[in-house]
Amino acid sequence: MVLDEKDRKTWEELGDFFRGKSMWMMHFCTGCGAIELPPAMTSRFDMERIGMGPMATPRQSDVLLVTGYLSAKTLRRVIYSYEQMLNPKYVIGFGSCTLNGGVYYDSYSTINKLDNYIPVDVFVAGCMPRPEAVMNAFKDLMDKIKAGTANGWKKYQENKEWYEENQKLALGEVDVKDEFHE
Amino acid sequence: MRELKLFLGPNHPGMHGNFSVHLYVDGDIVKRARPLPGMLHRGFEKLMERRLWTNNIALIPRICVVEPDINEMVYAMGAEALGNIEVPERAHWIRMIILELARIGIHMMAFGGIGGPTGLYTGPNWAITERDLILDIFEEITGARVYHMYIVVGGVRKDLPKGIEKKIENVLDKLEGRLSEYEDLILRNSTIINRTKDNIVLPEEVARELGVTGIGLRTSSGKAYDIRKVDPYARYDQVEFEVPVANYSDAYTRLETKYKEVKQSIRIIRQVLEKMPKDGPVRAKVSTGSALKWRIPKGQVFSHIESSRGEYGYYIVSDGSRQPYRIAVRGASYPQGLLGIEKYLPGTRLDDVAIWLDTMGVCAPEIDR
Amino acid sequence: MNSMNKIIEDIKSKYNVLNIEQPTKQQVSFDFESRDIHAILAYLKSIGWNQLTFLTCVDFIDDKEFQLVFILMNWETGITIQVRTRLDREKPLFKTIVPIFPGAKFYERDVHEFFGVEFEGNEDSKKGLFLELWDDIPPMRKDFDPQKYSDKKYAKRDYNVDFKKEGEER
Repeated sequence: MVLDEKDRKTWEELGDFFRGKSMWMMHFCTGCGAIELPPAMTSRFDMERIGMGPMATPRQSDVLLVTGYLSAKTLRRVIYSYEQMLNPKYVIGFGSCTLNGGVYYDSYSTINKLDNYIPVDVFVAGCMPRPEAVMNAFKDLMDKIKAGTANGWKKYQENKEWYEENQKLALGEVDVKDEFHE
Repeated sequence: MRELKLFLGPNHPGMHGNFSVHLYVDGDIVKRARPLPGMLHRGFEKLMERRLWTNNIALIPRICVVEPDINEMVYAMGAEALGNIEVPERAHWIRMIILELARIGIHMMAFGGIGGPTGLYTGPNWAITERDLILDIFEEITGARVYHMYIVVGGVRKDLPKGIEKKIENVLDKLEGRLSEYEDLILRNSTIINRTKDNIVLPEEVARELGVTGIGLRTSSGKAYDIRKVDPYARYDQVEFEVPVANYSDAYTRLETKYKEVKQSIRIIRQVLEKMPKDGPVRAKVSTGSALKWRIPKGQVFSHIESSRGEYGYYIVSDGSRQPYRIAVRGASYPQGLLGIEKYLPGTRLDDVAIWLDTMGVCAPEIDR
Repeated sequence: MNSMNKIIEDIKSKYNVLNIEQPTKQQVSFDFESRDIHAILAYLKSIGWNQLTFLTCVDFIDDKEFQLVFILMNWETGITIQVRTRLDREKPLFKTIVPIFPGAKFYERDVHEFFGVEFEGNEDSKKGLFLELWDDIPPMRKDFDPQKYSDKKYAKRDYNVDFKKEGEER
């Protein structure tokens, strides 16, 4: 496992260069931040011209955009989705709520610190961040990928036990078998 | 015959927001449907009890993400009713501008959004760009694109900026000029007509049984059941507008009604700009001294307004202290989003489920709170 | 205002009303004994208040009581009626109103989840809806402290403190 960018092999460097040119983000509106994604995707801001676009399924996407607060129930689905994604995969935490809980700091149902449960490469602060901020975050992520410093997914593999322990503490059981109690 | 379980959402392009419907299908006919809400649950009702009356102004717009202004309005109306606060005349009219602009915004999003489930992506691209013109106006008035925190108890936060009337009129002119193109793109498009006409029919008995309000009730009953008419708030009794109704509620009629409501909202804003007092105070003083010590007299009130999806209301209980004792949120899409899905989706085709969610206006954050 | 007075007189003459309030000019609220509620709801439905707008609950912990609130709307006159009743907080039990208003099914489920009020006859109401794997008392009760629960379950971010008051630790 290579965590230091200096130890990258040539083919990895090449791969990172191309990965940083086209980002597919997963279509998962986890919170209110998703309301600024349609303007960013459609013709006014048009994020596709800088190489980012929406993707319907987790298995084909590179980036998981956690748009805003996560309730415990969503965190569970986010973890399922994150684990379905193929390596290399990146996470953007979007909005103040992913950083420290934001206005929901004392809520009984929302988590306060996203990088405790899944590794986050880029955070965007604000409530709500503007479409320009979304695109800016993507640009930052692209630069990080090209430089080889976006290594969240490697961290997740190496510290799997630590992440799983945190997930268990917040969620009790990560897998839910019977959602409707039938 | 075999039953297969499918998940519509939470990460599904045809889903509005973070909401899940589990479908048990046979072929492509839905046999059973189970809504799974709660993924946007933030415990707002509890948080509001813990904040001061003033602090809540920052919290409430976040309950309904697509149309935040209605939250501010019902909260302000409730507190004003309990506290006997007289709102200045100009503030009423400014509130109407904000509410109607927001209504146009969400209707544009829903109207163009039908392109999602029907596979016509020009619709969303156009409509969301047009909606951005309205967000620009909001930004100029309030300083924020999405969460405005502009309508406060006792009026509005500050007066309109100079020259904004001209800009609003320009935006309305531009929108109105484009509306005929939308008619061609969406309402006369054979793809959309084939998918929505005589599809997802909502009979009047069902609407009554579920407690569906708003467009769903108006298009099925043929009566103008609109709170702006039935129990007018702000100054809706002083402007002229029609409430579009129909006697047969299929997906197409509901879509058309949204389109007609956009036209009526434009008409209302035009009248407001003409009739509103040109100057005067916009915010009544609600308390003497610090806003942190502000108290609302004891009482219980249900304040309601007409949102784009129906009757939206807060049940506010005050015990005379600095914090609200309890605020309960009646989300407008509660009936169609939960019981409607469970009871009336079975029997429809799998690919029409998203059309129900779209045209009935199921808004996940206000169901979950 | 005529129809407003008419309905108040009508209800007063027919049922045992404990208290009447009129918060706004298009709204009236009645307090009843809990055993009268079903008859009143059925009666109000038959005379035009045919929409159950909302069903919610308020926790009056000092009185050791829950208050159930049924909000009914008459679209013809625009008058909203609040029908309210109090339940014992120790044993909150109420007969379901689903046979009168089928739309109440999920509201009852909601109230059960957040307050723990049991609705007899609505079996679905005992299932969880919004919360998943909940492991504490119903969260909307007044004696539930969300801050404490959040501190216990969800990790907080540590910040460097640039400035500290005199005598403060850290």
